[in-house]
Formats: sequence, C-alpha cells, structure tokens
Amino acid sequence: MNSLAVLMKKEYSQVLNDFKVIWLPLVFIFLGTTQPIMTYYLPAILKTLGGAQGISIDPSMTEQTGGQVLAATLGSQFDQLGIMIIVIAMMGLIQSDKSSGMLAFILTRPVTVSSYIGGKLLSNYLLVSISVGIGYVASLLYIHFLFTGIELTLMITALFCYLLWILFCLSFTTMLSAVLNSQALIALIGIITLLICRMLVGLHPVLDVINPAGMSKHAMNLLITGSVGANFSINFFATILWVILTVMFTYHWIVKKKFQPK
Amino acid sequence: MKLEIKNVSKKFREKKAVSQFSMELETGQCVGLIGPNGAGKSTLIKIIADILQTDEGEVLLEGKNISKMKREIGYLPQYPNFYEWMTAKETLFFMGQLSGISKKELIRDVPIILAKVGLSDEEDAKIRTFSGGMKQRLGIAQALLHKPAFIVMDEPVSALDPIGRREVLNLIQEIKQETTILLSTHILSDAEEICERFVVIKNGMKIEDTTMLDLISRNSKPVVYLEITHNDKSWVDTVKMLPYVKDAEMTGHKVKITLDDVVKYKNSLIQNALENNVDIIRFEIDKHETLEEIFLKLVVGT
Repeated sequence: MNSLAVLMKKEYSQVLNDFKVIWLPLVFIFLGTTQPIMTYYLPAILKTLGGAQGISIDPSMTEQTGGQVLAATLGSQFDQLGIMIIVIAMMGLIQSDKSSGMLAFILTRPVTVSSYIGGKLLSNYLLVSISVGIGYVASLLYIHFLFTGIELTLMITALFCYLLWILFCLSFTTMLSAVLNSQALIALIGIITLLICRMLVGLHPVLDVINPAGMSKHAMNLLITGSVGANFSINFFATILWVILTVMFTYHWIVKKKFQPK
Repeated sequence: MKLEIKNVSKKFREKKAVSQFSMELETGQCVGLIGPNGAGKSTLIKIIADILQTDEGEVLLEGKNISKMKREIGYLPQYPNFYEWMTAKETLFFMGQLSGISKKELIRDVPIILAKVGLSDEEDAKIRTFSGGMKQRLGIAQALLHKPAFIVMDEPVSALDPIGRREVLNLIQEIKQETTILLSTHILSDAEEICERFVVIKNGMKIEDTTMLDLISRNSKPVVYLEITHNDKSWVDTVKMLPYVKDAEMTGHKVKITLDDVVKYKNSLIQNALENNVDIIRFEIDKHETLEEIFLKLVVGT
C-alpha cells in the first residue's frame, strides 16, 4: 500500500508538471459550454447568415428542456471530441514508461504490479472525472441561464453513470498503452474502438446490454426522461466486468514481462 | 549471502541469448562479466535484476527466488533513465520510498549518498540538465541507497567519455569495499581495474570463470622479443635451427622468439646473436599477454 501512495504522488506531480491538470479541465469546460450556447444561438445565427430561402427552422428545436441539452452535451460533445481527447491525453500512460525503461526500472524495486497499475489508474481517473465533472457543471450553468433547470439528484446520478463509461475508456486506453508500443497506434485503435462502441448503442438490445457505452445512453435517458433505459443493472455490471477484464489483462501483460522490447 | 544462477536459459524468438548458464557469487566479491557485443551479457544481467523471465533455470539469492529478494539487489541499467522533470533529490526519494525506506531515513541518507557520488551541488537540478556521467552516478546512488547485498551493473562505463568513465570507475572502486558487485563490460581494461574474478561469456554460454592471476599465469608464454636492424634479417633463419627455440617470427624489425624455457636459454640466445654480429636494438622478455589478447583468443580463437 505504501508504494501505491508513492506512485500516486509521483503521478500527481507529473500531471502538474505537464500541465494536464490545467488543460484537460479547460477542454471539457469548452466542450460543455459549446452545446447550450450553440443550441440557444443557432436559430439566431442561421437567421443572420442564412440567405437560403424556403428553409424554416423547426420551432420545437428552440424549445428544448435543460435535460435534453445536457444529454446532448454528453452525447454530441463528450462522447465524441471528449473521448478522443481522453484517449490522446492518456495514451502514454504506460507506453512512455515502457519506452524510457522506467517501468522495468521501477519493477526492479520491491513494488507490486498492482500498485503500479493502481497508482496510474486511480490518479488519472480522478483527474479525468474531475475534468469531465467541471465541464458538466459548466454546461449546467449555461443551461440554467438559457434553458430550464434540472433536478439535482437526476443530474448527479446521470454524471455517475457517465463516469462509469469514462472509467472503461480509461482502463481500455491503459490496456492498449501497456500492450502496444506506438503512441499513434494506441490513439488510433483506442479512439476507433471507443467511438464504434458508442455508435453501436441502440442498434440491438442484446448488444446494448454488454456494451460499456450503454452507460452513456443510460445517463442521457436519465436526463431526458427521468429514468434509465431497459436492462440498466445488467449493463452496469457488464461495464464493471469490462473494466475488471481490461485491468486484469494489463496486469497479466506486465507481470509476464511481455512489455519488454524485442 | 550467496547468489546462485542455475542453468539459466533465455530465448528471444528463435535466437538463444543465454543457454545453460550457471555461476555462484559470494559476498564481498567483484565479478566482471565479459563478452563481446551480443554475447548475452545484458540479457543475463536483466534476468538477475528480475526484469526478464527465464525460459529455464532460476536465480536464487540465499536460496530464495530473486523476485522475492528485490530489496537486496541494487540495479544500474545500461542507460539509466529517470523522470526528466524530477530533480536528483526527488529521484532518490522516489526510488528510495519504492524500496521501502522510511522518509526519516531518506532525509538522513540522501545527502550523504549524493555527496558520495559527487552530486551534492546538483541535488536540486532537474535530471534533463544532467550529462551522461552524472546520470550514471545518480544511477549508482540509486542502486546504493537501500544498502543492498548485491549491486548489479550493466555496462556502467561503456557509454561514457574518458572523464565520466574515470569518475564512475573511481566510485565503483570505492563502493567495492562495502558491497558485492557484478558488472558486465566489453571494455577489458575497466574489468581488469576493478574486478578480481572474470566470467567470460560467448554466444550465451560461459566459456571461462577464473581469476585475473590464474588467467595470466595460464597464458604467459616463454617468449622474448628482439628488435634488430634490417641487415640481420637472415639471422632469424639461424635462430630457428637452434635446439631450444620453438619458433621465430619476424614482423618489421621485431622478432618474436618462443623458447623452451626463457630463464634457462635467454642468455644463450643473446650469445648466439652476438656471435653472429647481430645489431641488437632492444631485447625484451614478454611478461605476459595482456588481458585483451587472452580475451580475443578466448572469444574469437579456436
């Protein structure tokens, strides 16, 4: 446990050092505020710019509820650009330690692999969830001004559902980072796989149950309708299972020393 | 404490890096692992440091598997890489805490060890500003910090310039008094300077395990060298006919003559040369072959 604390402390000073602690929340604040502002001003923007005749704007669009806009923040901002940025920010998590030889070096000390992975995941998950949370709250503030308010408990439950999906994104990226040696490949495979997961949601009920991205859909449902979609609990446990699987795979990969070059 | 390497083998795909390697190491020894590039030195060192897993065999420290005894091993990689954004002091605290040393002890020991490796003035400098020699010295500090029973070093001086090399060699010379050292190198004069015992490795196999004295006495030869002028070249043929001369070879002005017994026949040889009016410029008795020659013979030879 002691070495876990040491490794976490090191992760924090590293995050402070490369300013991730500043730019990651900023990105999510930007993404979070984009959706309500765009939704609110789009009709006005189209009016001033649009010379096209014959196109009328559906009036129902301007009458969205706060919950719908917040759901759209998750679905169209965080789940697209947001995930790409998380993958890119986290792709070097283990890969950079591998390529510099620090991973091998650290493991020559009496440090368990679980505290190494634990230190990485815990500290970075904290950073990512705080960033996402800040972006979420920023979005909420604008929604309060421009649209209707949202029930507090609903909003918090939805955030926690969403953060479970984010946890999977992180553990999956960490696994890729342990297995692959090229940052570009990690980013490419990570982004494509996660975006495909997200796109598959709603395609087939069976697929939805085991799809970790289903948690994002449940969060959106909560915000729009006030209740989660079908099979929530199964999907919840399936997502947790996915997280455990990816972490175990990472653990196995490092314990078996498959991370070595050659 | 005793380090045992038992029948260790390691393959990378089809290429055998180490095969059936065994050796034992006692406390207080300094052993040089010598071999040409690609002989499997680094692989073996990494197996001892528990970075690589063996395909066969095991490494035991005091009868226990090495992965349970990491506290007793200090490891210096070939190119020690640290987190570049850390300072020297932070690095030692980080590595020290990972080794399970308490903060109180670290506050006491880190300045001492930094002074020992000559980095006291740079303790708050970031590692990215460090030269290769400084990183190597920090690596040694890190390997010494938790007072291990064994220190394993992978090519500690090979990548350094002459100044850095000297610094690190002196440092190793100093810490040798207190700990057991196993180091790999392909620079023989370094090994000759620090170690008493040598293990020569070639194609992943141990081909020699001996002490410096033994190696030299075994390889010393009854040879004398003569430097003569060009006009006396024909004398070499006369020398070859002498009963106590095994062989004579001429390269340039130098004649290498192998005798049955140097002490017994060297005067007769000189006498013979004087009788033949040979103009001797220099007469020299070969003390022994250099380690380098012995090494070349072992590694390349038949």
